[in-house]
Amino acid sequence: MKRFFTAAAVLLVITAALSAAGSREADVTTLTIAGRDGAFGDAMERAVETYMQENPDVRFEILKLSGPELMEQTVIELRGGTGAFDLILIDDPFLPRVQEAGWLVNLDDMFAQRGLEIDPDLVENMVDIGRYPYPGGDLYALPHVGNVALFAYRQDILEKYGYDTLKLWDDVLEVAQLVDEHESDMVPVLFRGVQGNPIVTGFLPIFWAFGADILVDGKAAFNTPEALNAVEFFLELAEYAPQGVTAYQATQVRDALMSGAGAMAIEVWPGWIGELENPELSEVVGKVNIAAHPGQVKDSSSMIGAWMVGIPKDSRNIDQAFDFMLHLTSAEIQELMADETGNPPTRHSVHQIERLVEKYPWYPAQLDGQISGSVRPRTDYWAQIETVFGDFLQRALVGDISAQEALKQIQIRVEDMLN
Amino acid sequence: MKNKDRISYNSFFYIIFAPALLLVLFLTAYPLGTVLHDSFFRYDFITGAKDYIGFQNYIRIAGDELFQRSFRNTLVFTFFASVLEVFFGVLLAFLLYGSFKGKKAASLIIIFPMIISTMVICAVWQIFYHYEIGLFNYVLRNIGMQPVGWLTDQRIALYSIILVDIWQWTPFTFLIIQAGMSSIPYELFEAARIDGAKKTQIARTITLPILSTQILLVLMLRTLDTFRLFDKVYALTGGGPANSTQTLSFYIYREGFSFFNFGRASAASVITLFFVAFLAMFYLRRLLKEDD
Repeated sequence: MKRFFTAAAVLLVITAALSAAGSREADVTTLTIAGRDGAFGDAMERAVETYMQENPDVRFEILKLSGPELMEQTVIELRGGTGAFDLILIDDPFLPRVQEAGWLVNLDDMFAQRGLEIDPDLVENMVDIGRYPYPGGDLYALPHVGNVALFAYRQDILEKYGYDTLKLWDDVLEVAQLVDEHESDMVPVLFRGVQGNPIVTGFLPIFWAFGADILVDGKAAFNTPEALNAVEFFLELAEYAPQGVTAYQATQVRDALMSGAGAMAIEVWPGWIGELENPELSEVVGKVNIAAHPGQVKDSSSMIGAWMVGIPKDSRNIDQAFDFMLHLTSAEIQELMADETGNPPTRHSVHQIERLVEKYPWYPAQLDGQISGSVRPRTDYWAQIETVFGDFLQRALVGDISAQEALKQIQIRVEDMLN
Repeated sequence: MKNKDRISYNSFFYIIFAPALLLVLFLTAYPLGTVLHDSFFRYDFITGAKDYIGFQNYIRIAGDELFQRSFRNTLVFTFFASVLEVFFGVLLAFLLYGSFKGKKAASLIIIFPMIISTMVICAVWQIFYHYEIGLFNYVLRNIGMQPVGWLTDQRIALYSIILVDIWQWTPFTFLIIQAGMSSIPYELFEAARIDGAKKTQIARTITLPILSTQILLVLMLRTLDTFRLFDKVYALTGGGPANSTQTLSFYIYREGFSFFNFGRASAASVITLFFVAFLAMFYLRRLLKEDD
């Protein structure tokens, strides 16, 4: 009898515990975010923490992935239609591919359902990146990370050699030569030299400034005198880059800049340099100027590299995800993320907060870039074009082939892809 | 055994073997069939668009300079990595043969690289190989030599990856060879020594011939594994500089998961599969012959 009562009591306790857990879980929504690693991941965490304080019944699972991993997992999950993700971050050049497959929720409809309008405080040019077809179609993603490629240089070094600012790429080359001659401990020029996306992204502002373009009327335009001038200039400038530049990624560029070892970086993204003015981590507080790129035959045009946030159609929590998306892109949270993690905001108002402008002096240039900057070509073949471009550009960089041969090969391959 | 008895005896084994066989067939034949099927299509995985194009993927791949380079790099990597790993494995097994104080500790230290995650190993070696702050260039500078672009010089980068693979996988070959050596009766060596054989003679005429099956087996395992090299390239060089470390697996990954061009990725996979199967058959035939 005693044994029977003991067994019954244990059974009762187990059943009660399971029921309690079940009832508690029944009201909880879990949102899964396919996001980025590093500072972008930290920024997302801050947004999630604040949202959970206001919405205790919502939990989150954040996947912090590298760029390529995020792209792979996004495609595999969305193609499978598993509904595994409720929110995804998308690198802006990849957005047309994602929406071509019709994987995202139409945000115009979501705004309309809730009687809301897109906040005009969000930079319009950045919001348009989330439209498909670009730039006038329906809205499928909102801008979360307002990255714009900028140019960094040591103001003290420039002044030492009689320069106030760098208007042309020719000026950059001249300063690089001077630094090489007189500053033995300093690398004149920094950029990401890894083949594929990194080297291309670093080079594009030069390419555009020399009047070249990737596609003209939808056709490959690499085999042009403008493109040749741009590549030849890049190779000349690269002679003043560090020895191991072909392995340089964002970390190496940032570290060299922040340690005072680099005089100029032809490509920096606000997301990399959040700590540039932090005296505990940076040796160059107040010495580095971050500005728009120099021009050459054309004026400079900043390159936008935004990370957008969208909701997959297969998500089982579309309304909750949309609610979180509004929170993530709100002025209050953008300010918090910018302040604590250096995440570049995408709102006019956040760029004008004095405390932040003091902390991140490049905000005016960043906002200008967001308002008037260019996006990379909107084509289904961007990933392939960028890869081929990067492969041959790096081969020219290491002296494997000439600039002309590199461009000829890129032209042949891109033409082949587009046909 | 009577014919009827033999049939019923064999049937019993076929029946109990059938579920496992079906499962293995499903897990291998189905994916293989899918890859082979997709290789004849222009297949955009994102949109799901599929157009039959016959052998076009194969023709384009065969003429693709990058594929040819990837193939060449894979062969170079496979040859040097597998041969040197087996060579050093045998050497270590010979050095550590017999019982002596500290043997267990030495064996533990030797197998350590094999049990660490490849990504961790790559992170460590990336620091060793760093042009400015790396250990190797620090040593070279200290002895008055020019620093080397271990991962940035296109003539050297592939060999730098080979070195990492040798460091990681020599312990594996060592373990197998050591197990083989410990199974050789000690009396054989004693008898040879009594007959006046020197150590090198014993190794050449007794140990190595007896170990030939293990050596061939471990060479096969390392050849097949090194032929599929991907992780170290991904982590250390990304295929660069100037495609000098592109391998077949990396080529397939790029076509499949960067471009989502599953047709071409499948065709490249089929070519790789045929080559791996050829290598496996080559080794298996020799192994089976030795067994006979």
